[in-house]
Amino acid sequence: MSFLKTSQIKSPWLMHFDCGSCNGCDIETLACLTPVYDVERFGIINVGNPRHADVLVVTGTVNPRNAEILKNIYSQMPDPKLVIAVGACGCSGGVFREAPNVLGGVDKVIPVDVYVPGCPAKPEAIMDAVVTGLGKLKGILEAS
Amino acid sequence: MNLTTFYLAVAGLILAPLLGGLVAGVDRVVTARLQSRMGPPLLQPFYDVGKLWSKIIAPASHWQGLFVRWALVASLASDVLLAAGADVLMCFFVQAASASFVAVGAFCGSSPYSKLGAQRELFQLLAYEPVFLVAILCMAKVSGGFDAYSFMASQQPLLFKLPLLIPGLLFVVLVKLRKSPFDISASHHMHQEVVRGVYTDYAGRDFALLEIAHWADVVVVLWICSFMWATSALSMVITAGLFLFAALVIDNISARLTWRHMLKVVAPACLILATANLLWLYME
Repeated sequence: MSFLKTSQIKSPWLMHFDCGSCNGCDIETLACLTPVYDVERFGIINVGNPRHADVLVVTGTVNPRNAEILKNIYSQMPDPKLVIAVGACGCSGGVFREAPNVLGGVDKVIPVDVYVPGCPAKPEAIMDAVVTGLGKLKGILEAS
Repeated sequence: MNLTTFYLAVAGLILAPLLGGLVAGVDRVVTARLQSRMGPPLLQPFYDVGKLWSKIIAPASHWQGLFVRWALVASLASDVLLAAGADVLMCFFVQAASASFVAVGAFCGSSPYSKLGAQRELFQLLAYEPVFLVAILCMAKVSGGFDAYSFMASQQPLLFKLPLLIPGLLFVVLVKLRKSPFDISASHHMHQEVVRGVYTDYAGRDFALLEIAHWADVVVVLWICSFMWATSALSMVITAGLFLFAALVIDNISARLTWRHMLKVVAPACLILATANLLWLYME
């Protein structure tokens, strides 16, 4: 693979969006950045700007109000991009899936590449999801 | 201009950005170690720039591409001037022009964070440029000339006659590394109050070019700092390394300094110290 394609796999900048989570998964996502887990080992940086992001990590259920914001953030990210749905709520709506104001999981609004189950999802599982997503990206880049 | 100067200028043009990238890598690894983390690979900044270069994204404003390229040209020109042994004062002004282009480009964007970052970039220029200017004047007074070769030719380290410049130069390194204060125009620290400040609206290839311009800027600043002990090439590298390490330590132990503190306290204090050193040299 060329240097530019290798760089895309070795430098995944991550953006975290809380769609309406109870904050359990958010705390676990931020725990990945602490010295215990240190995701910067993989070149991952947590950025606050979708124009700089390569991976979108979404926690919580989607409802009609935040669905627009989620679509807006997703559309601002440059291709190729990955979306990771974190936690039971992000994957399917979790225990709130029957609620009248809940649309369901993240995949009701934007395409999801990797699902991370758990309530809350463990930091190890979130890191594993990013690495799995990068494997998927590598396959796409090699095929192109 | 003789052929040797030409070769040195070309070497400066090619090696300075590469060295700057390595400095950024060392910075990230050392910072991680100071925080009990393992940190990214040494070459991570090169991967980041490679990744940004491969991303195609519409610019926030069509003017930004122009200003980014001018910023890159000015930053590389300041490296070339230093490598060719030209006037350090000229190098300083060209480097300041680069920072101004970045700010003007950020003003062209639509994001309020970008505009706020651009304003803070101008505050930064206001804070550190006078200190840096007086520091260069002090160095020129001691070494007897403004060209880089005079600075490097002094028999005795400039530090012995310019001890009061150390806080000022450290302040310049901290600001140019985009380290502390945390709410500076484009801090590397995540989750700061203005997102990525002056860099918010730059993305893709423009952002990659800006990173390279930033590396070139850092090399210029560390190079000028290394004149403080320029008795040999090795001593210059060690001096630059010490300035870098001191900046990293200060950044890690002062997480809550704000830009107001920088403007109201640090900049005046450093300017007074540097000016006192200059007056002392004239009265000697």
